[in-house]
This record gives sequence, C-alpha cells and structure tokens, in this order.
Amino acid sequence: MANDPLIQIRNLHANAGDTPILRGLDLEIRAGEVHAIMGPNGSGKSTLSNVLVGRPGYTVTEGEVLFRGKNLLELDAETRAREGIFLAFQYPVEIPGVANNYFLRTAVNAIRTHRGLDRLDALDFLTLLKEKMKLVEMPDEMMSRAINEGFSGGEKKRNEILQMLLLEPAFCILDETDSGLDIDALRIVSNGVNSMRSPERSMLVITHYQRLLDYVVPDRVHVLSRGRIVRSGGKELALELEEKGYGWIEDEAGRKS
Amino acid sequence: MSAAVETLDRLRAGIAPIGPAWLVRQREEAWSAFVEAGLPTRRLEAWKSTNLAPLAALDFARITTASSIAPGIGSGAKTATAIPGVRIDRLAGVLQREPERLAGRLGRLADPKRGALVALSTALLEDGVVIELAPGARCEAPIRIRFAVPPAADGSASASFPRLLVLAGEDSAATLFVEFDSPADAAGFTDHVAELVLAPRARVALVQLQAESAPRVHFSSLHAEIDRSARLDSHVFTLADGLVRSELDLRLIAPGAEATLDGFFLVRGAGHADHFTTVEHAAPHCTSSQEYRGVMGDRGKGVFRGRVVVRPDAQKTNASQSNPNLLLSEQAAIDTRPQLEIYADDVRASHGSTIGQLDADALFFLRARGIGAAEARVLLTRAFARTIVDGVGDPELRAEVGHRIDRALAALEPTLAADRADGDDDHDASEGPPAGDRA
Repeated sequence: MANDPLIQIRNLHANAGDTPILRGLDLEIRAGEVHAIMGPNGSGKSTLSNVLVGRPGYTVTEGEVLFRGKNLLELDAETRAREGIFLAFQYPVEIPGVANNYFLRTAVNAIRTHRGLDRLDALDFLTLLKEKMKLVEMPDEMMSRAINEGFSGGEKKRNEILQMLLLEPAFCILDETDSGLDIDALRIVSNGVNSMRSPERSMLVITHYQRLLDYVVPDRVHVLSRGRIVRSGGKELALELEEKGYGWIEDEAGRKS
Repeated sequence: MSAAVETLDRLRAGIAPIGPAWLVRQREEAWSAFVEAGLPTRRLEAWKSTNLAPLAALDFARITTASSIAPGIGSGAKTATAIPGVRIDRLAGVLQREPERLAGRLGRLADPKRGALVALSTALLEDGVVIELAPGARCEAPIRIRFAVPPAADGSASASFPRLLVLAGEDSAATLFVEFDSPADAAGFTDHVAELVLAPRARVALVQLQAESAPRVHFSSLHAEIDRSARLDSHVFTLADGLVRSELDLRLIAPGAEATLDGFFLVRGAGHADHFTTVEHAAPHCTSSQEYRGVMGDRGKGVFRGRVVVRPDAQKTNASQSNPNLLLSEQAAIDTRPQLEIYADDVRASHGSTIGQLDADALFFLRARGIGAAEARVLLTRAFARTIVDGVGDPELRAEVGHRIDRALAALEPTLAADRADGDDDHDASEGPPAGDRA
C-alpha cells in the first residue's frame, strides 16, 4: 500500500569479500517512492545493491533489511527475486547458448508460479514480450540471440529494463544503469523506467551523475560516503552535487564523525 | 580361461552358427583372438582409465542374448519405404538369403586384433542392420536404427551384440540415427560394432545416442574408412549413469577425405563414460576436426582419449581436436588426454582440453531473475552442450537429441519436479519443430 515502508534498511554493515564496505547504513523507502543514491567510487553503492539481492561473496555483519516488514536477508537470491526485488545490473553478464526469449519466459514463469499465477505458454508469453519490447524499442531478432551475447552496452541495459518490465518487481534497484549510454539510449531506458512508476512500486536509482535524474526524477536523494548515508535531500541535492562535487559533503561528514 | 571367458564360451555354444563358411571361420578366428586377449584390464594402455570389473563380474552363465532391432526411415521409425538405391536390411536376413553380399565386407574393418571386445562382438554376432547406398543414392530423411534391450522379466542379465554395416557408394548421401536404450532393470552387456565404408564423395552423417541405463555395461566400437573427397559427420551423445565405453576408429585413406567427430557426454550417478577416438590420416590433404564436450555430475567420471595419427605421406593434413569439460560436483572427475602422433612435416594440427565449472556470475544472474538454482544449472549446462547439439544437421534429430539431453539434465537435479523435466518445448524456438514421442 502506498506510504507504507516497502524497504527498511537499519544499521547495515556488510563486507565485500573480507573488506568492510557498508558501515551502518540506514535507509527507508516507502511504496511509490523513487530514491537516488549518489556517491563517489568506493563509497559502497554497488555493495549495497549486491547485498540487497543476495549475491554470494557479500556478507552482512550487522544490521537488518526488512522488505514489506519481513527479514530479507534470510532469503536466497531467487526467492528475493520472486518476492519482488530486482536489480538492473551495472555489468549484465553474457550467457552464450541460452536464448534470451527462453530465459525470459523461464524467469517470468518462475515468478508467476511463486505468486500463484498460471505459467504462460509460449504464445501468451510472446504477446506479452512484444508489448514490453516496444517500450524499450528492442528489435525482434535480439530475442532469439543468446543472453546479451554480442549486445552493445546500450542494448544490454535495455535488456535489463526489459526484464524489469516483464518481471514487474515491487522494488527496483538500478545500478548505474546510465553508465555508457548515449542520449538516445538514456531516453529509451528512462522511458522504460518511468513507465514502471506506480504507487505500489519503489525504486532505488544508483548513479554517479545527475544526468539520469533529469529523466527519472527522484523523490529523495541520498549521498553515500564511506559506507554510510551522510546527507539526504530532495531532487535539488543532485544538482548541488553536480555543481560542487562530493568533496564538500565528505569533508562535512568527516568533521561530524 | 577366466571365469567370464568360460561362461561366455557357454553362451557362444548356445548360439546357432549362421551364415556361410567364411563367416563361421571369421567368427572362430574372432573367438580365438578374444580368448587369447581376455577381457581388457587396466594394465592395457588403452584401458588405463576404465575398469571393466563390472563386466567381468557379470554372471554370463545365466545370460541370454537379446536385443530388439528396429530400422526405419523418418520419424516414428516406420518400416523402410522404397527409396531408390537405398537398402536397409536386418543382418540375419541377409546372412540367410544372400550372404555373398557381405563377403569381404562384413568384418573387414573391425579387425579382431584391434580389441578383445571387438573380437567378442564378431564371435557372438547374431543380428544387426545392413545399410547399402547405391552410387548416387540419397536419403533425405534420417535412417533410424534402434537397438533396445527388452526388460528382463526374471531379473536375469542379458548380452547383446548388435552389428551395423554401412556401405555408402560413390556420391551417395544419408543421415543415420543409431540409438541404444535399455530400461533400468536390464542388467547385462551390450557389445556393439559398426563398420562404415564411404566410397569417394559419399556423405554420411551419423548420430549415435547412447542412453542405456545402469547397471548395463555398454561398449561400442565404430570403424570407418573414408575415401577420396568423402565426408563423415559423426555425433556421439552419451547420457550415462552406468559404464560406457565408446570407441571411434576412423581412417582417411585418400586425398580430400574429411571427418568431423563431435560428441557430448553427460555422466551422472556413479556413471563412467570413456570416449576413445582414433583418427588416422593415411593420405595427404585430409581434414579431421573433433570436439567432445563432457559434463560430469554426482560421482560421475569421464574419460576422453583422442588419438590423431598423421602418417608420413599425409602432408597438408588439417587436424584439430578439443575436449572442454564441466565438473558439476566435488566428486565428479574427468581424465582427458589428447594425443597427436605426427610423422609428416607439413601439417596443421591443434589440440586442447579444458576443465571448468559453471560460471558463477551467470548462475547468479539467472537466480537474481527468480530462476531456481537447480533450473539455472540446467540452463547453463544445456548451453554448454548446445554447440554440439547445434552441429547435428537434421533438424528433427537435433530437437530430439536436445530433449533427451534435457531429460538427462533434469535427472541430475532431483529437486526439479518431474513435470518440469520435459515440459518446456521451446528452448530451441529458433530451430526446427520439437520432436514428438517416438513409437
């Protein structure tokens, strides 16, 4: 329901491998809200997204994450996805030998089964697929190709958004989805993302640059530094960061701690 | 004489001598060669990695010979419809009615001295299939041959010695599908020998599917001679939970001869699958390429031995060989030994083998999209097999082999519900239609 917290992150500490990266991160996102996380390299943006989706190699050492009030961290990666967590990867992997359309239908049906819906047969799925492909302006031939194999950077990102459109997650994390996109691809990707905005669905947009936030306008902007959120504000904070860089906030945070 | 040899001799005594005098003599010679060599042991170089103890332990005293043989053309394995120049016959019938057709042909390539089990197969030969393609004959639809072992009503073991002889005349072309199947309760031993003679410019595509279940022991040995500008495309698919040894022995005897030897083996349970190929380049300007891909799960073990021999006058030979492998579990193992023996100096030859595991990033990506870990592993393993499956030229066979591999992959993942094993029908949507169930 709108305005209930969809995801609550409390005092999250996490390691990437053996290295502590997140050091007490707090964040709450209500249903329907779009939040952006900005921050310099190494501040923990990618670690946060990987921890949320349960990637092996990342360990939570302290704190908790509640998704719709339930402990997210005890679920395995596939269950999180089925429950409605989605990460649009920064570097989508290429998987030779697995056709995109077959993969997509397998994923859609895994999630439908989890939600108590009937599996889609090949024909029904194709209808759905075509409709979603239009939104991200993807040509048909990309569907019979192997997952991301030989795709350009922009095509891979569009493929990520296509997966998001098909899986209809409740909580979408976009990890630097704008990186490596030209202006047309950025527009296509943003349109896809914006078409997903709804009072029930929340998003966390992780980005280096303000540019994406011109298209996907956030409700809140947070600055991540050394594994903690050091400043939060409205969408104007992104503009301020673009102008002044991160140095001043990090200095400020450094003085406070 | 070992106990196994003694009991096999008893089995032999029970088989009525068939065919003409030359065959009777050939079989006696083969028997002598077998007795002299005995069952192969790991002391032999060629059997170093495969232990035939499960075969030696079979109680051959109680064994009966049994196999059901169904040759046909096209899907559904209908009896052969008349195609000009294409003859498909049961071997036993030919030996009874017109044995002269086979004189100097049957048993010419499968030299008993090449191996004890090859000798044994000839010694105990009863039936099989003879395919003869007249010069210029073309058979578009695949010729299907199914060697099936019937279930044993009383649980006793059986032995079968199915034979295949293919004589492809000049400029002929055909696709063959040879399938071995047995139910899980059909203990015993299958000892199969195939001989293929390709006359100049003949083209034969051969797809073998070995799907006999443990505890049955499967041995097959294919011998081919490939003449000028002829081409053999061999695909071997082994889906094993028992003991399997598959040998390919090819000779390229005149310039322009070509052979592709591809294979995929999937070993599960306590299975052991040993693929041993020999390609002899006996003439200049011949090409051979081979790629065998192995997947070992559970406690399965794979063996790949690939010998390429380039004779001194086989200049301008082009030979490649590769054996990538996936190990899916801690207990799985692969023993891979590519082997080049080059006696000519102007030769292009390459070989390589790799051993790896499923890509962790790809696995996570699929799981992050809601696909369960077991299903994700199946998807990725199927993708690994796909290069080989896609090499099967006939779309119907390609789809059918793909489905059989899917079923075997599902068996590797007990957590997958049975209805998911062969429920999905469009993973090969970009290819031909899915295969229907065969009769």
